[in-house]
Amino acid sequence: MASVGASKKNWKQHSLSSPHKYQIVSLKVNFYTPVRQKIGKLIAIQDGGVAVLIQTPVMSPEKHAAVRVIRVSKQYGQITALSDISLSVFEKAFVFVTGPSGAGKSTLIKLLYMGESFTNGAIIVDGVNLARVSRKQIPWLRRKFGVIFQDFKLIASKTVFENVALVLEVARSRPDEIKDRVYAVLETVGIAERANEYPPVLSGGEQQRVAVARAMVGRPKFILADEPTGSLDPDSAGHIFGLLQTAHRQGTTIILATHDASLIRAHCGSLVRLENGRMQMQPAADG
Amino acid sequence: MRNNAYLHTICVITISLAVFILSAFALFYINATELLDAWKKGVRVVAYVADGLSAQRMTAIKSRIQALDGVETVEFVSKQSAFDALKADIGEQSALLEGLEENPLPDAFEVRLAQSFVNLEAIGRLAAGIASIEGVDDVEYAQKWLSRFAGVYNLFKVTGLVLVGMFFIAIVFIVANTIRLILYSRREEIEIMWIVGADESFIKAPFYLESLLLGLAGGVAGVVFLYLAYLGTVPNFAPEILFSFYEIRFLPASIWVVIVFCSMVVGWAGCHFSIQRFLKI
Repeated sequence: MASVGASKKNWKQHSLSSPHKYQIVSLKVNFYTPVRQKIGKLIAIQDGGVAVLIQTPVMSPEKHAAVRVIRVSKQYGQITALSDISLSVFEKAFVFVTGPSGAGKSTLIKLLYMGESFTNGAIIVDGVNLARVSRKQIPWLRRKFGVIFQDFKLIASKTVFENVALVLEVARSRPDEIKDRVYAVLETVGIAERANEYPPVLSGGEQQRVAVARAMVGRPKFILADEPTGSLDPDSAGHIFGLLQTAHRQGTTIILATHDASLIRAHCGSLVRLENGRMQMQPAADG
Repeated sequence: MRNNAYLHTICVITISLAVFILSAFALFYINATELLDAWKKGVRVVAYVADGLSAQRMTAIKSRIQALDGVETVEFVSKQSAFDALKADIGEQSALLEGLEENPLPDAFEVRLAQSFVNLEAIGRLAAGIASIEGVDDVEYAQKWLSRFAGVYNLFKVTGLVLVGMFFIAIVFIVANTIRLILYSRREEIEIMWIVGADESFIKAPFYLESLLLGLAGGVAGVVFLYLAYLGTVPNFAPEILFSFYEIRFLPASIWVVIVFCSMVVGWAGCHFSIQRFLKI
């Protein structure tokens, strides 16, 4: 984990001798002042804006990180959304990015798929330095990512099939290949029978399954999920999470941003929180 | 495209109105040009000579006219033949002339102009030259009417060009604005396309196609409106009185094809402006 360790001041690294072999990296985020004050008073997670939990199946030093974020900052005018963030994500890892609202989880996800540019630092995805990617290369780079959002972001005027097929259309796949792959992935997420319906008539859980199908259909190297279960009932959330695990098992690197600690506890067994500036281990999922 | 029928309709109507006005100008311009040309081709200067001149004097006058610059043919019209022609012209009413004791018409020379000489100043100069010949009483040509018409025509040429330019810009803005509204109404769809890795051409192509079609529809509609207006007005215009030698015509195919094509180009340009600004991420 040589790649994680650039800045002592802003992040901490811990190896746990647990059977889970988690690599836990906690990042300190500088909130912009008003939020920092508010959170400082109200929430136990005080100066740890984002805690990142990285689960890597194989931890060998010679393996290169698929995503490296090096001392990245993002400013919106006067407001600092992310400050001096560093982290590494290894290939085929399942990474949770967590922290309270406003901590910059979504911003981090956006920076990764180049939805926005960062102010300082470097992000290296699959060996490509995002700061040096030309405008023309962006679409090609984005096809490495499947992205899932809390609000699904489906096109209401397109059918379920068309929404999912869009990913392959923009990559200019052959029509017969598009058909085969879209139906296959719709089967996987269990929504194939509603392929010709429009998203607004589907339930939230169903819409998110379509979104997951869209994220999976291009067989991307990475799936970025920004609060994917945030607006779903627990059953649907469980289903969506299960689908992400399926994708993970198939070899996709997953980066999941969520403030839902129960989701992480339920699936990772332990969670590190920063409290009063100190790391605190929480026991495995209650009961 | 499905959700923008209203915007599309408004856009097509606006373009068609602009095209209608523009092509109405074109219609006027083209007809005026041809009318003026036809009139100029037919232009004759008539020199009336004083009564009772000798045949020698007549010949002398004729050769002096002939010697003037720009004169192609000079034809003598005797007072008798002029009278006969007048009688034939008024036809049924020729009985009116029977009361006349003598032919009131003078002898005249009808002067036809060389083709290269057909412009207003040259005609004016020539007429003055003929008038200065001794024995020529009066010179007649449709000077006032012609110069007034030419004045309007020239004014129109300048203002017409300015108007064309202004309308051109106006249509570009209208289309740009419509496309911007359409882009705005579909911004989420566009954002999603970006996220799933669509390149610029994938996103832009449908909008360019859309605005070309808007331009096409607006252009065709405008020309059709104009044709209907033409059919509705021109036959009631009694043009044969004014322009017996000229028939008002609709825009030739080549012109309205160009107009429709320009309308499409303008649609494309409007789209281009909006999309360049909108898609800058």
